[in-house]
Amino acid sequence: MSMQDDSTGDHEGHSALVAEYVLGLLPAGQHERVGRLIEADAGLRAERDFWVARFAALDGGFEEVPPPAHLYAAIEARAFGGAEGKRVSLWESLALWRGIAAGALAVAVAAVGFNLMQPRFDADQMAVQLVAALQAHEGSGVEFVAVYDQAQGAVRITSLKGAAVPDKDFELWYINGDQPAVSMGVIPVNARLEIPLDAEAKASIGPGTVLAVTLEQTGGSPTGVAQGPIVALGPATAI
Amino acid sequence: MRCRSGRAPHRKRSGRACARRQIITTPSKDIADLIARCALRDRAAFRLLYERTSAKLFGVTLRILKDRSEAEEAIQEVYVKIWQRADRYVAGNTSPISWLVAVARNHALDILRARRPVAEDIDVALELPDGGPSPERAAEDSQARSRIEHCLGTLDPDRAEAVRGAYLDGYSYEELASRFAVPLNTMRTWLRRSLIKLKECLTT
Repeated sequence: MSMQDDSTGDHEGHSALVAEYVLGLLPAGQHERVGRLIEADAGLRAERDFWVARFAALDGGFEEVPPPAHLYAAIEARAFGGAEGKRVSLWESLALWRGIAAGALAVAVAAVGFNLMQPRFDADQMAVQLVAALQAHEGSGVEFVAVYDQAQGAVRITSLKGAAVPDKDFELWYINGDQPAVSMGVIPVNARLEIPLDAEAKASIGPGTVLAVTLEQTGGSPTGVAQGPIVALGPATAI
Repeated sequence: MRCRSGRAPHRKRSGRACARRQIITTPSKDIADLIARCALRDRAAFRLLYERTSAKLFGVTLRILKDRSEAEEAIQEVYVKIWQRADRYVAGNTSPISWLVAVARNHALDILRARRPVAEDIDVALELPDGGPSPERAAEDSQARSRIEHCLGTLDPDRAEAVRGAYLDGYSYEELASRFAVPLNTMRTWLRRSLIKLKECLTT
């Protein structure tokens, strides 16, 4: 879906269309189509988020009205009745990742709970899983969570806080004791990434290994040695 | 027209500042934590979240649906959705209460939309550009609030009222046209121009 956006008028029109979408003014069929177009385009998503946030400032116009007391029991029955059986994989649960980053032991316990909830017939799946909450370092405001699944030989990492820095990339490293940091590559800020590990990394990463993120030039450090500041780090622990 | 009930909690301007103060009495961090705990299937957190936010969200469904029993049905569906989708809340993008209000508002609007007669598509180009200038991340809440009020104030009062009516009451173009006694196409032109003006004001 593209066209030349060669006039200001066009762009204004599109912005107004997204605003109409957010206000809910479009008829059903069109609402759905515009919604799909927005989902598929980062610029339009930003436009939508802009309007959602700005109009949200009008939310004070909604008067509070307590709902009748008997509703809650019905809501619990509907909410907890069916959906509970749905399996949520650790990887899919973004909120769980965030919770882990909050560093609460309770959350780590919940993570184990999640694992136990999943049926396990395969001995391989009992292999080690490690989680590392990479907390912001020196006020960087950047946080990540990484999970290492030994059975899959991959590290999965997602950012929790922080924004991309123009002309810079975040690079992930693992560090064992006094040994030099080893790069695991450049990582995105607003997406999850799965990094397959080579044999050496697989053999090296274990409980206590520290994962760190540095801010490097675009494309990552050219020398294989971290050059930029550490913005987040944390040790891997077994879950 | 669906404005059939005299019980509609339609609120005049004077009430706005007061209602606004109420939402921020529960710190937004607490609400965000409760949402995150819901994503972890913490039922106690869900109950707390409901206790703290249901009056606001019921107010949303009631104002838009303008029918108490429909609003009661809708609020149940809204909280089931919140429970199921709690993991989609991304802290930082919007304030947690705004996110909850949006879930309730969108749900109520979906109900209305499904009920409206099939309308002809509005004559706008559906072809959309790739990207385009990306608007800056929304400013802090309090700033945004005074900003939108200020910018609505730069529009003709009728048009500002139409924008509010669309947002707060979920009015369709047809309903707005009849409320303001103008032809449908005039209303569309009004609103679109107003939205363009609003965008200009909000981004300068």
